[in-house]
Amino acid sequence: MTSASMTASAEFRAAGTDLSERRRSGVSRGPLIDLAAAPDTIGVTWGADGAATIGALTSIAAIAADPRIAAAYPGIAASASGLATPQVRHLATLGGNLAQRSRCWYFRDPHIACLKKGGSECPARTGNHLYSVAFDLGPCVAPHPSTMAAALLAHDARIVTSQRPGISIGELLGDGSNGTSDHALAADEMIRSVELSAPLPGERALYKRAISRSHAEWPLAEVCARAVVTSGTFQFIRLTAGGIAPVPLRLAACEAGLQGKPAGAAVIAEAARLARSGASPLPMTGYKLDLLEGVVHDLLERLATP
Amino acid sequence: MNTMTINGRLATLPDDPDALLVDVIRDDLDLTGTKLVCGAGVCGACTVLVDGAPVVSCLMPARAAANTAVTTVEGIGATDLHAVQKAFMAHDALQCGFCTPGFVVEAAAFCDSWRKDKGTAIPSREEIGAALSGHLCRCGAYEGIFNAVAAACAGQFDGLEFSPPRVEARAKVTGSAKYTVDIRHDGQQEGVILRSQLAHARITDLDLAPARAMPGVSAAVSLLGDDGIVRFVGDPIAAVAAKDRKTAEAAIAAIRMTSERLPSVIGLDAARKPGSPVVFEKSSRKKAGNVSEGTPAPAAWNGNVRGPSAAFSQKARKARNWVAAAREQQNPWLVEGTFRTGTQSHTSLEPHATVARFDGDRLTVHASTQSVFHVMELIAKRYKLGHDKVRVIADHIGGGFGSKGTLGMETTAAIDLAREAEAPVRIAYDRHEELSVTGYRPATELKIALLPSEQGDLKALSLTAYADTGAATNSTLAALARLIYPAEAKELADYDVISNLPPGAPFRGPGGPPMAFALEQAIDEAALRMKVDPIALRKRWDPNPNRQRLYDWAAGLDVWRNRKTPAEQTGRYRRGVGVATGYWLYLWQPGVKIELKVEGGRLVASTATQDIGQGSRTVIANTVAQEFGLEPHDVEVRIGDSNLPEGPGAGGSRSTASVIPPTLLAVQKLKDAIEQNAKRKPLPGSNAPWRELIAASPDLGVASVRPEDSKPTAPGIRSPMKEAGIMGMIFGWMLRRFSNLAVGAGVPSSVQVIEVEVDTWLGHVRVLNVHTGIAVGKIAAPALARSQATGSVIQGLGYALYEARETDPRSGDVLSAGMEDYRIPGIADTPAISVHFDEAGFDHVLGGSVGIGEVATVPTSPALANAIRNATGIRLTEIPIRPDRLISALKGRTAA
Repeated sequence: MTSASMTASAEFRAAGTDLSERRRSGVSRGPLIDLAAAPDTIGVTWGADGAATIGALTSIAAIAADPRIAAAYPGIAASASGLATPQVRHLATLGGNLAQRSRCWYFRDPHIACLKKGGSECPARTGNHLYSVAFDLGPCVAPHPSTMAAALLAHDARIVTSQRPGISIGELLGDGSNGTSDHALAADEMIRSVELSAPLPGERALYKRAISRSHAEWPLAEVCARAVVTSGTFQFIRLTAGGIAPVPLRLAACEAGLQGKPAGAAVIAEAARLARSGASPLPMTGYKLDLLEGVVHDLLERLATP
Repeated sequence: MNTMTINGRLATLPDDPDALLVDVIRDDLDLTGTKLVCGAGVCGACTVLVDGAPVVSCLMPARAAANTAVTTVEGIGATDLHAVQKAFMAHDALQCGFCTPGFVVEAAAFCDSWRKDKGTAIPSREEIGAALSGHLCRCGAYEGIFNAVAAACAGQFDGLEFSPPRVEARAKVTGSAKYTVDIRHDGQQEGVILRSQLAHARITDLDLAPARAMPGVSAAVSLLGDDGIVRFVGDPIAAVAAKDRKTAEAAIAAIRMTSERLPSVIGLDAARKPGSPVVFEKSSRKKAGNVSEGTPAPAAWNGNVRGPSAAFSQKARKARNWVAAAREQQNPWLVEGTFRTGTQSHTSLEPHATVARFDGDRLTVHASTQSVFHVMELIAKRYKLGHDKVRVIADHIGGGFGSKGTLGMETTAAIDLAREAEAPVRIAYDRHEELSVTGYRPATELKIALLPSEQGDLKALSLTAYADTGAATNSTLAALARLIYPAEAKELADYDVISNLPPGAPFRGPGGPPMAFALEQAIDEAALRMKVDPIALRKRWDPNPNRQRLYDWAAGLDVWRNRKTPAEQTGRYRRGVGVATGYWLYLWQPGVKIELKVEGGRLVASTATQDIGQGSRTVIANTVAQEFGLEPHDVEVRIGDSNLPEGPGAGGSRSTASVIPPTLLAVQKLKDAIEQNAKRKPLPGSNAPWRELIAASPDLGVASVRPEDSKPTAPGIRSPMKEAGIMGMIFGWMLRRFSNLAVGAGVPSSVQVIEVEVDTWLGHVRVLNVHTGIAVGKIAAPALARSQATGSVIQGLGYALYEARETDPRSGDVLSAGMEDYRIPGIADTPAISVHFDEAGFDHVLGGSVGIGEVATVPTSPALANAIRNATGIRLTEIPIRPDRLISALKGRTAA
């Protein structure tokens, strides 16, 4: 075994759909703390203003199947039903999805040292990084694995933890510059719930991932898009992307290219091209920018169609 | 103490926080219908219901099952079979059966909930595909699964009882079929292998004592070769047996050794560079593995490059000169290109696994093998035991695809450990081992030049193939281009490029698919340049009578006649249709013997073959039943046991052609014997005379050996080896002499027409439909033949679109060693597949049937690439055609 962090302090376990594989392979060791469901950590509650709070131990399948979530937050529902497989979604929880570890194949191999396992360098950066980031924001080049994080970023969700009353996705996951971890929670800090704002009047939202097969694959690039289109104009637009950077990203340049602009083909095509603004692809990941542009283009076209 | 209810019974759960539900179910409760395959929630083989919801038991902590009701496959049809189980049997929605319990559990839950909501409405393909998207079937039984789930939801299997087309289907849909990984003897130990973490090293001072000294450890053996050198990451060093896996893993971590790192080289490009570190010095070349089924012919070595093997060339110098002249003259019909194919892992869902047990001097080996008889011979030779002292058993095998054809490390290590432990030992590879060290179809680089003559005939073909064989040799790709499309001259050269990667192995039509990927695209390109219909050009250049009939069939397909040109399409989505041809050798195994008996009034057919999903049990049962006017389930077929008369290996598409002829001879002998021994004749006009005779017959037995074929009389049906001249005859002789394989006359052939839709924004290919025309003679078991044909297409689509083993270019670690990174096709990736069997061409074979398994997968990747060319105007020269490659090609860039 290669690293000191393998004997780090206790790790929380929700459903274990990520942790079980790491423990079987030997990537992760040490004591476990199983999280028990409490009233505020499971299920969906609704405020008078129509805003939802989702307990961290609510299963992904429950989120995907909730008709009120689908009506109020279709981008979140679509993200939930688009990730993993049905049998994983039945077990996996929202909190676990946010706090899961990287899927990088170097990280997942117990015999290979990497930054996330206490090593001194990222072997993917100079090795085979076919599925790594196209926005190179830190020493580790693994994309963040959480589809729900990208969706929640698009919704300005607040994450309630055992120690903090409400932090942003940015505060939860960091800015990608810390290559050793996949989130910025304290060692004994657990996610309890996720608070959403009420949807905007007339808001529509979509989610899509680019993959090689039809289902059940980690995204090469994924986007959650929210928009309010009135009288053929983008009154509100929010685009967030996963699979392309160490943390989910807001596509701010795209948004700026759309905000207040007519929802027509030329504007959309130009804005989609802006999805790659600020990108810094690795030698093998330039294709992700084409896919990102394609996914954004696809979603914007659909959002612009009444 | 925590408990759960499982299939209606109370069971206690272990306190160990790391215990997973799948291990409790399989190991503690011996409910082995639930399978452990990927261990990562990808493949669904471990699916069980927890309080009615399907979940992956391989990731679910056992303690999370406290106070729940768990249902395994054994609980699904415990009293009466579920409609889904019956539908799976009726639609032959399975082959090897290893994934089947998981599919059945999920599909039963889906069907129940669907019918509660929607009555007997029929779910769409998309709905079924999404519901079953957490399951993978490597045999590719998806076509049957779609049909089965739809039929069960529609209520077509409520109450119905019937005999399924696959004779062992019931055992597979109920989870009662026992595979090697399910075998459990009293006192059985678990073996684990210590593997090299370095790509090239000399191991000295190997000290097993610390492992042996650990409590619970029963044996520790060295697996190093005499030179003590390991040549790839994962090369075996030692093995340990202990009371359980955890103890064995701790023990291998305690083994001490000194590793002297040696210079290493990884992959095709690096290993070809002059001065790269040499993997096999001259004295150690015999240690290299073999990626083909035949014995290697001698070839020159130059560093890590072995070759050229060019014996199948024909006027090579002329071919070279003509191509060079055409290039100089800028002949517009000269097609030249370099094609690359990826490394394809077999990905058998049952891993390589062996359980070895000594009873005194007798050795019983349960093995997940494609060849019980041959492996018995190899064990007997290696351990200097008589054939009567070694018994190899494989009742059911969870896939093999060429990777389980010979004596593997999992078997010799288990035997070595069992001998030292004086206890039965099981070794079952984990998924990382299965996807890294059990072999693969080597990646290739193929340089091709194809020159038509001024008259439009095929004048010259040049094909040079470099295969990325790892620590192995004997790739045969270019040579295969000799046996199709006769030309005035052919220059065909094969090179193995050896490096510090695990050795390749034979894989379904070894060499065929990559050769076709280059050749069939070159033919397509020639047709475009010559402005000739690609099928018409093949008809002109390929006189083989079996394929001539298939070309006529393909040319008549609506999808082919209505295809568009790339110029007609400009939008985001573009559709295209492609065609390609494949062939494989008709092989059969001499010496195969079928024993046919009347035993207690029932017919019993026996031979030491095995069924890895191809359906040999059923082929034998159908053949016997048909001759006696009975039903297949009236015949008991005994296979999967080396104590039975010599049977064929399940490789080289040889099974059907090896077992049917002796079966037919034995039937005739047994009929005579029954009649001679009959005390009274059946009543005149009886509609089941043999049933009466057999029921009344004393126990009798006969046996027949596979006869030579008769001389083919149909025009154009010859031995392909004779067509290839003197070298072909020598090759055929060597194959028979050293590999016990005869090359028969006539060429199994296939032609595929594929329609795709390309999403030019997301680099995604959706395969809309596949038409596969196959000429392999008479079809002995139609439903199963169809399953094999569609499964071959699906595996070919995986090869073309998704599958690639990925490695670290410096360390040689296999990175795609889990099933989320090694991507095989899922059910929703499966297009509608229509199968056309042309049953002529093999009348010289008794029974008229030859094998399907390999020929049916050869043309898929080029047909798909040709379809993309037709859709987009762009020719993809490298597979898999993943989004990264396709999007780069569409944007006119070179992919990384």
